[in-house]
Amino acid sequence: MAKGRELKGRIKSVENTRKITRTMEMVATSKMKRAQDRVVAARPYARALADVIASLYNPALAERFPLLRQPAQESRAAVILLTSNRGLAGAFNANLIKEARALIEKLEKAGTNVELHVVGKKGVGYFRYVGRDVAVARTDITDKPTAADAASLVESLMARFVSAELDAVYVVGSRFNSVLSTPPTADRVLPVEPPAAKGAQKDYLLYPSAEAILTELLPSYVRNAVYRALVETVAAEQAARRTAMKNATDNAGDMLNLLRRTYNRARQAQITQEIAEIVGGASALQG
Amino acid sequence: MAAGTGALKVSVISPEATLFEGQAPSVTAPAFDGEVGILPSHAPMVTTLGKGVLRIGDGATFTVEGGFLQVVDDVVRVVTEHAAKA
Repeated sequence: MAKGRELKGRIKSVENTRKITRTMEMVATSKMKRAQDRVVAARPYARALADVIASLYNPALAERFPLLRQPAQESRAAVILLTSNRGLAGAFNANLIKEARALIEKLEKAGTNVELHVVGKKGVGYFRYVGRDVAVARTDITDKPTAADAASLVESLMARFVSAELDAVYVVGSRFNSVLSTPPTADRVLPVEPPAAKGAQKDYLLYPSAEAILTELLPSYVRNAVYRALVETVAAEQAARRTAMKNATDNAGDMLNLLRRTYNRARQAQITQEIAEIVGGASALQG
Repeated sequence: MAAGTGALKVSVISPEATLFEGQAPSVTAPAFDGEVGILPSHAPMVTTLGKGVLRIGDGATFTVEGGFLQVVDDVVRVVTEHAAKA
């Protein structure tokens, strides 16, 4: 029964694979919940910042803040691509890289000199493979990104934007709309797009002055935009991994059913054949 | 929220999490040029913060550095990148 033993081996192997994918699915689910909590916890800060900036912002001030400078032509831009450090997350990283490539292509077609900053082993590995120069490659950001991580990513870019060395900074990451919707997106974080004011404006007492407050808050706003992208990308990664592993587990189940059916059929055929042989032999003896 | 009901709604918010949320009779914060005390019915205000200790009523205290404080209709929001429970 050579075929039977072979099938048995494959059944074992698929069972083991399914055990692994199911475990990874559960790990990703719990990590995703925690990452999701962080996305939610980051919202009040973003809302408070946007609120105050919106109420202080007016176009007359824009000319005096280098972070609000709107260059007529983007001749040098930086693209920060956020990817994950680990694979087995379906098309997650591939989608992000595709989005980044589309953005780079679009910018370069418009005559912009693009420098690439990549976060995450997967993105770094890809661009090393295709042989594109990467200005900064970081693989030290964990799946619990902190505000300090975001600051370390964007701080030097902000300084270069202020000194007019860069004309724009984009961040490519995944937006975490829900567990099932985590589209890759490209956002421009610099120049700062002032958030639109909504509702009635309060007449605030401002200390020391609107300008001084904006000077302090605009960099926070930029750092927070990057922080939000980091947190959402981590949550999206876990969501993508969970979906990928759930599919793998389901597929392994289907494959097991098929293999078991084939195995049982082979086993039954063999038994039937053996009986036929015995009966044939016995009747030959009686004959 | 009517002004002058005798309590402030206070929240301390950092990028990572909301560190404090609750009612308090007063708030003392380290503004950029010295301490500032907030009591109910304060006029709407936004001020940047320096480095120091933030006290909420008689209870929680935080060390903060930078960021800003916003008061509007007896709602006090302390928004800062560096805040830790003291």
